[in-house]
Amino acid sequence: MVVLIAAVAMFDSRAAFSPSAGTAPGDVGARWYPFWAASIMGVASVIVGYRALTTPQGAEGAFEGSRSLFAVLKLAVPMLAYALLIGGIKWRTTDFTYTVIPPFGFYLSTALYMSLFAWWLGRYKVWWVGAIAVAFPIVIFAVFELGFRVSLPKSFLYETGVLPF
Amino acid sequence: MEVFGDLAGGFATALHPINMAMLFVAVVLGLVIGVLPGLGGTSGVAILLPITVFIAHGSLPGSDATTAIIFLAGIYWGALFGGVITSILFNIPGEPWAVVLLFDGFPLAKRLGKPGLALSSSFVSSFLGALVSTILFTFFALPIALKALEFGPAELFAVFLLSFATLIGLGAEAPMKSVAMLALGLLLAAVGFDTITGEQRLNFGQVSLLSGIGFVPVTIGLFGIGEILASAEEQGIGFVENIPARLGLTDVFEALRELRKRLRLVLSNAIIGFFFGVLPGHGATAASFLGYGLARQYSSNKENFGKGEISGIMGPQAAADSAGVASLVPMITLGIPGSPTSAVIMAGLFIWGLQPGPVLFIQHPDFVWGLIASIYLGHLLTFILCLLAVPLLAMIMRVPYAIITPFIVVISIIGSYSLNNSMLDVFITVVFGLIGYWLRKMKYPLAPLVVALVLGDSTERELRKALIAGHGSPLYFFNSALSTVLIVAAVVLVLIPLVRTIRARRRGAAQAAVAHP
Repeated sequence: MVVLIAAVAMFDSRAAFSPSAGTAPGDVGARWYPFWAASIMGVASVIVGYRALTTPQGAEGAFEGSRSLFAVLKLAVPMLAYALLIGGIKWRTTDFTYTVIPPFGFYLSTALYMSLFAWWLGRYKVWWVGAIAVAFPIVIFAVFELGFRVSLPKSFLYETGVLPF
Repeated sequence: MEVFGDLAGGFATALHPINMAMLFVAVVLGLVIGVLPGLGGTSGVAILLPITVFIAHGSLPGSDATTAIIFLAGIYWGALFGGVITSILFNIPGEPWAVVLLFDGFPLAKRLGKPGLALSSSFVSSFLGALVSTILFTFFALPIALKALEFGPAELFAVFLLSFATLIGLGAEAPMKSVAMLALGLLLAAVGFDTITGEQRLNFGQVSLLSGIGFVPVTIGLFGIGEILASAEEQGIGFVENIPARLGLTDVFEALRELRKRLRLVLSNAIIGFFFGVLPGHGATAASFLGYGLARQYSSNKENFGKGEISGIMGPQAAADSAGVASLVPMITLGIPGSPTSAVIMAGLFIWGLQPGPVLFIQHPDFVWGLIASIYLGHLLTFILCLLAVPLLAMIMRVPYAIITPFIVVISIIGSYSLNNSMLDVFITVVFGLIGYWLRKMKYPLAPLVVALVLGDSTERELRKALIAGHGSPLYFFNSALSTVLIVAAVVLVLIPLVRTIRARRRGAAQAAVAHP
């Protein structure tokens, strides 16, 4: 119950402090419309929040036990890592760019990501994991780069000429 | 009549080899998406939307925007049929609009031991429902579009307002949540350059936000990733039931005999489903529940419902498929999506460089009529595939979670990246995936958000054009009778939940709590 209320309240504050702060109703031009959209949203979510606080809730929280939370995190965390791996992370200062994670490109990241799931959640044998890691990027390459002519991001090893992808 | 000539032209377009090939691929994909419980029709259409850009721009030999819309719509038709298979054979809804099928479809298959009859009754009624709806579509579309051509900014804004009001007034969720989601959608649509003055807004000094937040990465996130995350939570349950699927010709004939007995119910549900589907934001899911309610209401043996009554399959299926088809009508004729799925399809039109709305009929008649003809063909194809390939489709459920889930994530990310070759879009998709999951969790409706996001720019433009024309006076909206009526209707619709609350309050505090959980 506490989790649920906290979540609604969090959602509220995010809604209320959203970009409306930067937009004044003064100029009835570009700012007018987003301001009103933001205020309507703020008011509506405050009402929803108020209702959630005043309505008696069931005993269960937003997540039915830690298992389902874990099930979601198991999916969400690798997904974030996957997206970060494709593009890499760079830290820019005024005079130098530090590379925290080099861009692994689409194909290497996908191989890693798919095999992680096969190995961790699917508990497949090693050769199956390897086969998945090789087969999926190849199929994706054939369909998207050859079929639809989409150029997917390549790795830092491609930039230096070590790997062809 | 002129309509028949147009329709014949449409069939000539739709029967073009590349269009037929893509329709086939789309229907198969749609059926697969429909069968998979973790992936809905809206998500499927959203994830595959970026691919259609390449189809529309002629990546495939002979393909154009018509091929692209036939492809996207075909996925929808496939998904409308496919969700049923999972409901009936596995007792898990494959799609939101197949939830109703759990009430009678699964009992008929399991307890009465007639999975073939359950499946074929659902397929024949879906097909008939869709057929009725498509015929209505064929005859209604052009007159509505021609009328809409006369609309000025005041009328257009009033129509948009009315569609937002429908989402609030007739939505299944708490109305205030719908309002919040609508406003969020409008707000997100406003990011970037202002359409009238060209002023920058809400970009927080970021150059990358100037072009606005893309509809495609947001919807892929909200629907594709969000749905995957939401279904991850339920994975522990596993598949308890699994009825072997058999579908023989005898089942089909028996279903047809049962259909003849219920022809009035199916036809009237199909017609109701059509008008329900035309209303913005609801589409097939709400229509399926309405259809079930009607079938039960007018049945002579109500006690059979919930135990495998065939009317409980045919009623909702006819309404759902009819509404699914009908949700494209306002999108094509007015530029207002009738359901979240058609909102995604409408975003596709924008991306291919077409303006959804009445002008389509004048500028691209082959596109519109090609689409309408493909609805007939698509449903025929889906129907035949369903009858032939049920055991094959049921096998999809055996594809392990550890492969299908990351694969959907990979495809979603390719989709959001490939549209603008932008990693920012990929991050937007991931972030909105988490937001979409959270909103589902908190029972916020996603339909108003998506509809507002796709309509935001045009709504603002028409509103401000009308205000400029009226020299800043809001009275300009009441100059025309039509816009006055529409605005009054919108206000009434918004007030419906309020009136309901007050009535409930009068009946006692206990009931008031029920009205607003």
